[in-house]
Formats: sequence, C-alpha cells, structure tokens
Amino acid sequence: MTNWIKVAQVGDVEEDESLALEVNGTQLALHFTEGEYFITDNVCTHQYALLSDGYIEDGCVECPLHQAKFDLRTGKVLCDPATVDINTYPVKTEGDDILVAL
Amino acid sequence: MSAVSSILVVGAGQTSAVAVATLRDSGYEGRITVVGDEAHAPYERPPLSKAVLAAVNAEEPNISIKERDFFSDQNIDLRLGTRVLALDTHTRTAHLSDGSSVVYDRCLLATGGKARRLRNLPEEANQVHYLRTLDDARRLRTALQQARNALIVGGGFLGLETASTACDMGVKVAVIDTAPLLMARSVPSAFSKWLQARIETTGTQLYLGTSIANVQLPGNAVHIALDDGTNLEADLVVVAVGLTPNTELARDSGLKLNPLNGGIEVDAYCRSSVDDIFAAGDCTSQRDADQNAFRLESWQNANEQARVAAHSMLGIETRPPAYPWFWTDQFNCNVQILGLPQPGLDYVIRGDMDPAASMPKFIMLGLRNSIPHHALAVNAGGDLRALRPLLEKRIPIDPAGFCDTSVSVKAYSKALLTSVAN
Repeated sequence: MTNWIKVAQVGDVEEDESLALEVNGTQLALHFTEGEYFITDNVCTHQYALLSDGYIEDGCVECPLHQAKFDLRTGKVLCDPATVDINTYPVKTEGDDILVAL
Repeated sequence: MSAVSSILVVGAGQTSAVAVATLRDSGYEGRITVVGDEAHAPYERPPLSKAVLAAVNAEEPNISIKERDFFSDQNIDLRLGTRVLALDTHTRTAHLSDGSSVVYDRCLLATGGKARRLRNLPEEANQVHYLRTLDDARRLRTALQQARNALIVGGGFLGLETASTACDMGVKVAVIDTAPLLMARSVPSAFSKWLQARIETTGTQLYLGTSIANVQLPGNAVHIALDDGTNLEADLVVVAVGLTPNTELARDSGLKLNPLNGGIEVDAYCRSSVDDIFAAGDCTSQRDADQNAFRLESWQNANEQARVAAHSMLGIETRPPAYPWFWTDQFNCNVQILGLPQPGLDYVIRGDMDPAASMPKFIMLGLRNSIPHHALAVNAGGDLRALRPLLEKRIPIDPAGFCDTSVSVKAYSKALLTSVAN
C-alpha cells in the first residue's frame, strides 16, 4: 500500500522553479516544468548543493554549484562532474494537493 | 581523410578522460592508447585544494573522473606511470619510457601543466609545497594537520582556496602576492577588494603588492622577509604562482609554441602546427576573435577542448566551445564567473555586497554600452546560469531592472529574452 504524503499545493511552485522539501528526514526537491511536477533528491550527488537552487531547462535540472545535469523524469545524471544518478519519487496531484510516495 | 585506426593520447588528466570518452561515444572503435606519468587513473583536480585537502581520517572523497572499470570496458589501453619520450612525426611513432612504441594515426597532446616553481622556494625542502597533483595534496594535507601556521605565496584561485581550507583546518594563514589585488587576472578590482575585506574577517592575513626579499628554510620552519621589511614565519609554505604548460614533447617534436604564453598553438579545431597532432587543455594556446593568444586554464576548457579535439580527430562536426565559465569555492563563498575580464566594463551590482555576512549573495555584471560581457555571482549559481543566455546573445541590460531584487533573476532574464524574441 503506497504511502502518499502531501508536500505542497498547486501554485506553490512557479514554472521552471523548484521547492526544497524535507519529508521524513529526507531532503527532496519539487520541480515544476512544462506543466508537470517532478520530485527528486535535493542534494547533488557530486558535492553538497541543493538542486532546488539550480536551473531547470529541457526537462533537466542543473546543479547550481558546478552545473551537473540530471533528467527530472529518470534522475539520470547527464553530465560532469556528477557521475551518480539522483533518486526520483512518484508524484501525483489530488485537487490542489501535491503528494509524494516515499 | 585517411582512416583512423589508432589514436594516442599523451596525458591522463581531465582532458584525456573526456577526450577518450567522447571518441567512444562518437562510435570510434579503433585502438586508443592513453599514456600518463602519474600513478593514478584520471582524476579531477579542483577538489585537491578543497575536499581532498580537508579530508579527515583518510576518508578522502573519490575524485576519479570515470568508474574504475571504464577504461578496460571501453577497450582503452591506459598506461600509467609512463611517459612518451619522443614522437617521430614522420613515421607517426611514439617512443615510451617503458621501452615500447605506439604507432598512431592521430595523436592528442593533453599534457597539462606543472606548478610554476620559484627558485628561492625549492620543492625538495620539506617545508615547501607545490600543489598540482593528488600526491602533492596528500603530502600537504598531512603537513597542514600538524601545522599551527602556514604561508601561502600567490593570491590567485589556487592560493586562496588553499588558504581557505587551511583556515578551516584551524591553521593560521598569511597570503603573500606581488599584485596589489587578489585574483587580479580574473576579476575586476571591486571584486578583489570585496574578497580582501571578506578574507580579513576570517583572521587570515594578506600581504599584497609586496615581493619576497629573502627566504630561510631552517629545519622545520620557513622564514620569509618581504621587501617592506615585514618578517613572516610559519611551519610550512605553499607556493601557488601559476602553471607552466608541459610542452617539452611538443617542442621537441617541432610543434609551434606560442612565444608569449608558452602554450602549444592550436586552432579552433585543436589542430597543432603538425599534421595529425592535436592538443587540448591547460597545455594549449588558443586565439580569441581578435586573434590575441591566450591560455585558458579551467576545468570547463579541459572538457570543451577535449570534445572538440576528439570530434576533430574523427572528422566529425562539433559545436563551438561553451561561453567561458569558472568557479572557485573559498571562505564560505561559491563564486562563479561567466566570461573573461576585459578593460572598459562598468559593473552593476545586484544584491548586498557585505563582506562580513556569513553567506554573502550578490551578482556583479560588467557592461559595455549596456551589453553584458562578464558576470560574477557569489552564492548565486542558479541565477548566474539564468543570466548566461543574455551574455551569449549579447542582449542589452537595463541596470535598474537587473538590480531590482523584487523580481527574481530567472524571471528578469526570461522576460528580457522573450521581449527580444518578439
């Protein structure tokens, strides 16, 4: 039975922006781009930096520290200096609520 | 173009690793030989003055550029602890220090550089440290862990990062530089002065615009007398006064070196003056749009030239290098820079330039006739990234709009790009 946790409301995050969240002690980021929500780990796998402070373009988020790029849908790392993928989490909306499954 | 079945890469650093990965990604299935004189597989150098130096209890971060099995999985012959002694450019044969020879169709020189030595601070002395390799960083780390104080000669990127890390390790630090301003080669004076004020809040001492008059190296101490009469004493000294490109092999093989900066001359495709020999990374001299020669010592340039050289060797079209971008992490600031410094720029500042803030955040934008040519961001990397298209496309900036902090930089940039497109 999936445990869905409400993390935000529609309108909390603007287009091509991200929001830092902490859920059950895990640092996550909620991203909104091209009309879709994505939730990933918030800490870059290369060095400690928050992807929620980064830059979203073409369905990817770039780390603000050294521009490592990750695919928002799959978490796959796309360029140096990171070499490890980030985790992604299922996200859904119910009315105005945005929920994550951990 | 003749068929390529054997590619030799001289050097096993950042440029080399990215070049060979690009070769395989591009579908090249022929022989690749990489020869490097260090004992380590290619690794990133930026962490050497930061996380590697600061590592505690031998918990060093993994700085390998590729996973351990990458080279064998990709059929790349990686020969470490080996040098190329000579290149016979007529027979296209390289003679290696292990007695073997490699015949190549294309050769890439990615030999990087060596920390510039000062004659009065010999590297053989125990108390003297130069920092370029992982082995250097480990030796310096051990020394810093036991030191009460340290002198750093050189107030550029490397000297300051080392100072910052040493300071975090509880070592009392003094930095000496002949230039009156910090990081003078890379940033405008307003930023240098801000950085100086910030560093001084940490208790780190700065002796700028001064030369070394005398050096004594008794036992386990360093005594340095400056030309203004100041006498400094410390347990160790780190010398970070620039990089000398490794070009002996290129020179001996008849390649043209730039007389001003010493780098191996290459064109926009990383071709050297000799057919079938390419060069990329810290060892090269490039030309800007006005044909001025320059060496670009940066992580990004290593990656970009590696890609260009790899595609060029295969005769494949490639996109031009990215807009120059640099970063330095020091004294609790992630400083990112877009573009190269140039004279005649007026800088506008967005945010609060408080040197004493625990985490300062601001952006300086250098304009000429309203066009942005240089941008520096402190703890605002995401914002700098949002500004990048404005510099790439040379879009005029209105300072009042840019400095208005009620509008996010991303929103400002997006609006400007949209209005220009319409």
